[in-house]
Amino acid sequence: MSDTIVSTGTIAAAVQSGELPARVWMYSNYHCNLACSYCLTESSPRSERRQLTAEQMIAVAEQARELGFTALGITGGEPFLLPWLPETVLAMAEHLPLVLLTNGTLFAGDRIERAAALAHPDVALQISLDSHLPDVNDMARGPDNFAKVVEAVPRLLARGVRVRIATTTGGPLDSPALSPLQHLVASLGVAEADHLIRPIVRRGRADEFGLGVQAVARDIPCELTITGDGAFWGSFGPTVRSGRLDTDLLLTRTILPLAVPANALLGVLRGMPEGTDARLGIR
Amino acid sequence: MRDDGQMPRVDLFDLDHAPITVQDYFTVGDPGPIVAALAAVPELMAPTLGFIGAALGPGSIGVRYKEFAILRTSVLQGCSYCIHAHTTVSLDAGLSNLEIRALRGEVALEVGFPLDDERALIGWIDALAGATGPIPDDVWHAAQRYWPQHSLVELTVTVGATMFLNRFATGFQLPTAPHVTERLVAAGMA
Repeated sequence: MSDTIVSTGTIAAAVQSGELPARVWMYSNYHCNLACSYCLTESSPRSERRQLTAEQMIAVAEQARELGFTALGITGGEPFLLPWLPETVLAMAEHLPLVLLTNGTLFAGDRIERAAALAHPDVALQISLDSHLPDVNDMARGPDNFAKVVEAVPRLLARGVRVRIATTTGGPLDSPALSPLQHLVASLGVAEADHLIRPIVRRGRADEFGLGVQAVARDIPCELTITGDGAFWGSFGPTVRSGRLDTDLLLTRTILPLAVPANALLGVLRGMPEGTDARLGIR
Repeated sequence: MRDDGQMPRVDLFDLDHAPITVQDYFTVGDPGPIVAALAAVPELMAPTLGFIGAALGPGSIGVRYKEFAILRTSVLQGCSYCIHAHTTVSLDAGLSNLEIRALRGEVALEVGFPLDDERALIGWIDALAGATGPIPDDVWHAAQRYWPQHSLVELTVTVGATMFLNRFATGFQLPTAPHVTERLVAAGMA
């Protein structure tokens, strides 16, 4: 890998030119209060936590900015299971704007105020909602998921929290069948541009059940992704199947200093033939 | 020296599980258990193999003396994996069965190596890999009498790299490859 060691200025230049994607993702943790059927990480209440510390996440944010990355993402597991999450997110947002993925089910009653603390111009919550039909949505995501999400979204927006909705579908991304869901999302107050529709990726538990699109490395969006187990090619990389972490998209076990995995990712990108970028609409 | 059927203590990666940064090592076939174990920490692969390759590979001192260092060190460290592998490499390097048995401690060194210069070199290897603490002056003077300093520096790097491999292979109970075992049996050196 010695041929991939480059200066931090090179990372910034690669980000500016589009050669290196601008966002750095972090898996804050792998455990979750839900156990969705298509989950990439087999997350559930019993999952191994594989947790990053608050200090690590803030250091990643700071070093990402110093290296020249321009955005952050946090996913899990369910990040809001971590008691220290809101203040950590705010500390990270001092460095770079970020999107925080959550299932949106932990905001009932007064608990909404934990998330309301994230009303910040550089923070967006991305909440999953897969169908306008409660039973269809809840079949994959668990009982009462639909009701909790449609209740939480307007309350978050009313408190000044930016909300995006992510829909994961096993069907075509442009299917007319998604239309009622798009109307529902709009009725909750979410802008059209803040509604992402993406395919199920056949990794993790989705692979176990034969769900979703088959994807190899070049199909999976490349965005440096930091976990407690190491750094990966993209946020769809550090998946888990049958309790074992997938390592095919592992870059380095070293996560800090961030220049180590950033250089490794750039080295892999520069070794790939042109035209091998993502084409499956995975995001 | 036998593996006693022990299972490896760490995952030995294959092509399906090899991290993207090191998959090239797996695309030309089975890279062997050292690479397969190192894949767990992909950023260490290139620097480690670079060092090992330079330290154990061809150099100014020649493969015969490199194998003195590697096989003898492995014997002193009790590494069955490396003893097996480098018994076959030593055969390929042209060492005789008697010389290999002498390096493996199965016959007296004087029987296998009648020349003073080669025994002085093995004495230096033994002092490095078979003991701790300071190395006696007489061992150094004997080696220096026959060998230039740069050769002793090169050989000492080989001994050190071999000791790393010995502990890596022994600690993780890496298995001897079947083709190595077959070769040892055929040569009567198992």
